[in-house]
Amino acid sequence: MPYLGGEEALRDLRRALANPHVQADRLRYRGVVLRVIRHMTQGADVSGLFTEMVKASAAADVVQKKLVYLYMCTYAPRQPHLALLAINTLCKDCSDPNPMVRGLALRSMCSLRMPGIQEYIQQPILNGLRDKASYVRRVAVLGCAKMQKLQGDSEVDGALVNELYSLLRDQDPIVLVNCLRALEEILKKEGGVVINKPIAHHLLNRMADLDQWGQSEVLAFLLRYRPRSEEELFDILNLLDGYLKSSSPSVVMAATKLFLVLAKEYPHVQADVLVRVKGPLLSACTSESRELCFTALCHVRQILGSLPGHFSSHYKKFFCSYSEPHYIKCQKMEVLCELVNDENVQQVLEELKGYCTDVSVELAQGAIFAIGNIARTYTEQCVGILTELLGLQQEHITSAVVQTFRDLVWLCPQCTDAVCRALPSCEETIQDSEGKQALIWLLGAHGEKVQNAPYVLEDFVENVKSGMFPAVKMELLTALVRLFLSRPAECQDVLGRLLYYCIEEETDMAVRDRGLFYYRLLQSGVEEVKRILCSPKSDPSLGLLEDPAERPVNTWASEFNTLASVYGRACWALVTAHQPVESCYACSPCTDPKGRRTEPLISEGNKEVLQVHPDTGSLTLIPDMYLTAEQFEKTWLNLDISCKHSLPWHGTAHSDTIQTALHVVHIQTIAMSKAGVQPWKAYLSAQDDTGCLFLTELLLETEDSEMQVSVKQSEAKPEALKTFISILGSVMETVFGLRS
Amino acid sequence: MSASAVFILDLKGKPLISRNYKGDVSMAEIEHFMALLLQREEEGALAPLLTHGKVHFLWIKHANLYLVAATKKNANASLVYAFLYKVVEVFSEYFKELEEESIRDNFVIVYELLDELMDFGFPQTTDSKILQEYITQEGNKLDTGKSRVPTTVTNAVSWRSEGIKYKKNEVFIDVIESVNLLVGPGLGWGGRLRRPRGLWGPGAGDGAAAAPQVSANGSVLLSEVVGTIKLKVFLSGMPELRLGLNDRVLFELTGRGKNKSVELEDVKFHQCVRLSRFDNDRTISFVPPDGDFELMSYRLNTQVKPLIWIESVIEKFSHSRVEIMVKAKGQFKKQSVANGVEIAVPVPSDADSPKFKTSVGSAKYLPEKNVVIWTIKSFPGGKEHLMRAHFGLPSVEKEEDEGRPPISVRFEIPYFTVSGIQVRYMKIIEKSGYQALPWVRYITQSGDYQLRTS
Repeated sequence: MPYLGGEEALRDLRRALANPHVQADRLRYRGVVLRVIRHMTQGADVSGLFTEMVKASAAADVVQKKLVYLYMCTYAPRQPHLALLAINTLCKDCSDPNPMVRGLALRSMCSLRMPGIQEYIQQPILNGLRDKASYVRRVAVLGCAKMQKLQGDSEVDGALVNELYSLLRDQDPIVLVNCLRALEEILKKEGGVVINKPIAHHLLNRMADLDQWGQSEVLAFLLRYRPRSEEELFDILNLLDGYLKSSSPSVVMAATKLFLVLAKEYPHVQADVLVRVKGPLLSACTSESRELCFTALCHVRQILGSLPGHFSSHYKKFFCSYSEPHYIKCQKMEVLCELVNDENVQQVLEELKGYCTDVSVELAQGAIFAIGNIARTYTEQCVGILTELLGLQQEHITSAVVQTFRDLVWLCPQCTDAVCRALPSCEETIQDSEGKQALIWLLGAHGEKVQNAPYVLEDFVENVKSGMFPAVKMELLTALVRLFLSRPAECQDVLGRLLYYCIEEETDMAVRDRGLFYYRLLQSGVEEVKRILCSPKSDPSLGLLEDPAERPVNTWASEFNTLASVYGRACWALVTAHQPVESCYACSPCTDPKGRRTEPLISEGNKEVLQVHPDTGSLTLIPDMYLTAEQFEKTWLNLDISCKHSLPWHGTAHSDTIQTALHVVHIQTIAMSKAGVQPWKAYLSAQDDTGCLFLTELLLETEDSEMQVSVKQSEAKPEALKTFISILGSVMETVFGLRS
Repeated sequence: MSASAVFILDLKGKPLISRNYKGDVSMAEIEHFMALLLQREEEGALAPLLTHGKVHFLWIKHANLYLVAATKKNANASLVYAFLYKVVEVFSEYFKELEEESIRDNFVIVYELLDELMDFGFPQTTDSKILQEYITQEGNKLDTGKSRVPTTVTNAVSWRSEGIKYKKNEVFIDVIESVNLLVGPGLGWGGRLRRPRGLWGPGAGDGAAAAPQVSANGSVLLSEVVGTIKLKVFLSGMPELRLGLNDRVLFELTGRGKNKSVELEDVKFHQCVRLSRFDNDRTISFVPPDGDFELMSYRLNTQVKPLIWIESVIEKFSHSRVEIMVKAKGQFKKQSVANGVEIAVPVPSDADSPKFKTSVGSAKYLPEKNVVIWTIKSFPGGKEHLMRAHFGLPSVEKEEDEGRPPISVRFEIPYFTVSGIQVRYMKIIEKSGYQALPWVRYITQSGDYQLRTS
């Protein structure tokens, strides 16, 4: 193959394309066009041949036409003037007797993506919508959406929208689904396609004709429909029941989500649904496609979050197979942790124990941490297994076990004695600093129970000069000072040496400062040190934080079957939270108009929002505050508005998402309008750790306006107010990002 | 769903071919994909979903290719993966094998297909049989421009074209059951490891003598049967088919409770089956697609005895040798015969100079896969066979640990199903009234059949 994209090659191609002999011989002509496309595919710029290629599209050969159309779509944005030349040919092809050609031409014309093309494509699209061949109608329907996208902000053509709505009755299933997709895009600003009762019922009746893509998408569109009565609701559920057992995992997931959302007010129906989909989900978990299997496992975890026992009897399905990729094994281990119960704990632990000695370090450590998780409930058994693992004297195993022990002792103080018995001699095996830190912490906090604790720490002190990480040194300082309080005689000398080293020789400022801090603290007398350092050594209440009762199905039903549940909620918030920040400097060439309008607002109005992490400001909102509507109203009326502010917003506000998001940052929702109501209002309240109340009103006049925020404060604290508004701002930003 | 763009990359992450469906993701974004993938892999946190800025990459790997869908939306992940797998399936049917070379050689067709499979980021026609009617490899031969308009593109029954004609009308029904099995490591012979009496020592060759020492081996961790009914349809016109099975629910409905019936769980059908009828009276009725397709699948959760049971002792004497002894037992009916049995036993990667002795069949060492494959062409039910293998080990031991790969088994038992499922009838009705013959075949085969080694 000659070097691509050279001037020489381009000239050759041009000459060949223009050669009348070549043009006369169809096979040769196509051959040359093929060479042009090959160059294009390999990344060479052959846009210079545009004129010649336009001519080549006039040929009768369909394959050649396709190739030239492809070429045009690729280079039209770069050569808008020349592309207009092509339009004539394309228009002519749009009325070709062959429906394939008509469809092809129309699709290509709509995909040209250059300014000013709208006026040329409008008529062909309208003709296409009424074409007798469904192939052309399919293309024309999506063409409408493409046209709208090209027009950007301008008015939505009402007649076109009506035409599309009426095409929902088309015979062809793909035309129907394409209509929904196109309307959704065109009406994006108004909240997407409207699913009213006749449309919903029509869609329900057509479900059986659709392919798996169509079914999944229609199920997603139906989420928007609110049945008028209980009877209608259950009719719908009965009609769709079969899709819970579809052979396509994506249809199963879409149906599950629809059922969960529709049956929002019927927890027992939700529970039944989850029982019904158990089988299909399990078979998706053993699917041949690893990615589908992975997705299914993520969703199983989500379900387990609310219904811990749900898959317990099928725990064996989540045992790892030798050849599975790492990400599946990890998900399976997480699942195993969550479905443990009294009956299967023995077998699950036995299985996890097998993974602890896996060749892959990550997997082995993951398994050990998983056992640590189970240990919160089945402490004794797990500590036994973990202790046994120490006997293997493998570096990474011992390190992970000791880390697990540290976390466990904090949550389950009853295992402290057993852990302390297991600790001696671990120090010989551990090499990494995470493991060392964990061991040192344990020896510091519970050193009175470990015979040789001072001597182990002494060994660490001896080696302090030989490339120890600062974090380990800090841990060592804290641990020695703590141990000194319980075993002064054995520690005094060592502690002295360590403090001397830290203050006189250490180059890391943090370590040095920590050393100085302890030194001065010790000068103030042992009693004082004890008062400060002897904090509680455990906090069992932390282990109970994740009470499943607090995570009802409704909190995640709306994000089921999206990327959010594949990522996991926390991770997803992280992924999406970064986005506004990135869009500031990584301005992509094709930012949508929406993005452009929000950016200046962020950078001018509330710059701090982006820098201050919601939870780390000077403000701490307390989680368990609860205000009744009456209390709220009374307080609200008595206070003056401390601050008014506006947030970027478009379209309808989805109350559920907002409410959930606000809950995460401890802002309580007192009342909220239904989605789509105008004006849309919401009342929120929050309280910080000093007792100061923040009462907020969110107001959305019309769907196109910005969101007005008014905040009232029970005490005048401008600093806290600023932080509060920035927290609120970033929450709404995230919700807004989630929707688009 | 909606994928903004689809990319096909080679192993180095270089795009071979791509299609920008929506124009809202810069095509340059893909340059971040490989770096991201490698970074995640290094962190041990690789997942089939990667995110760069606002763009999410959902990817699968096939042969030496990555297929990547890029999207900005909070998409439905399983739908996107299913679509990518569909792309693989369609391409594979066109090119036999989908890999870098076949993409390069057929880029015109790949472009054509990508064009038809998806428009503006939404899946369109994805049925490869229908696509094959209007996108053909021969399309690259010249046609006159009057290409035939496939009826399916405009048809109401999207999976079958009108006007199909066969001289001989026939249907072939394959009932295939795959057995998935996972067996935990056992304690070996006699409860603790005991060296099998040497094949190469005094008293060599009396394999049978070792057998009585066999005691408890591994326990079954997981056992399931996945059944599929596949059809090969050569029928003219628009036939209406009805399939009758010995389905327990149906038998109970019709009061034939005493007959031998099978309880099917988790039944799934091809799109062509009328689900409402099945739900009402368990009738499986449908207008089939032409040619090969999978009509239905089901699952059996009842614990079945492992069809081929393996007991093994793999004894490693560091720096000198590995000795392997494997016993296979056919735990199915004496009348049935398992064909093409292949038992793959793992050996250390630094093993050398293999020696085998088998009571039946032949053993072969595959150094590139680090396994010994013991092949038994025909293995009747109720029989027991033995294999012994001996390998040398180098005196200098290899550093890294190799893990404990399982023993895996492949087999096929014709004329037999684990579940006892039976096709009672297949009715074929077409308005022209032709006679058609249904042919039925039953097969049980190994699925993911693994036995862990200790």
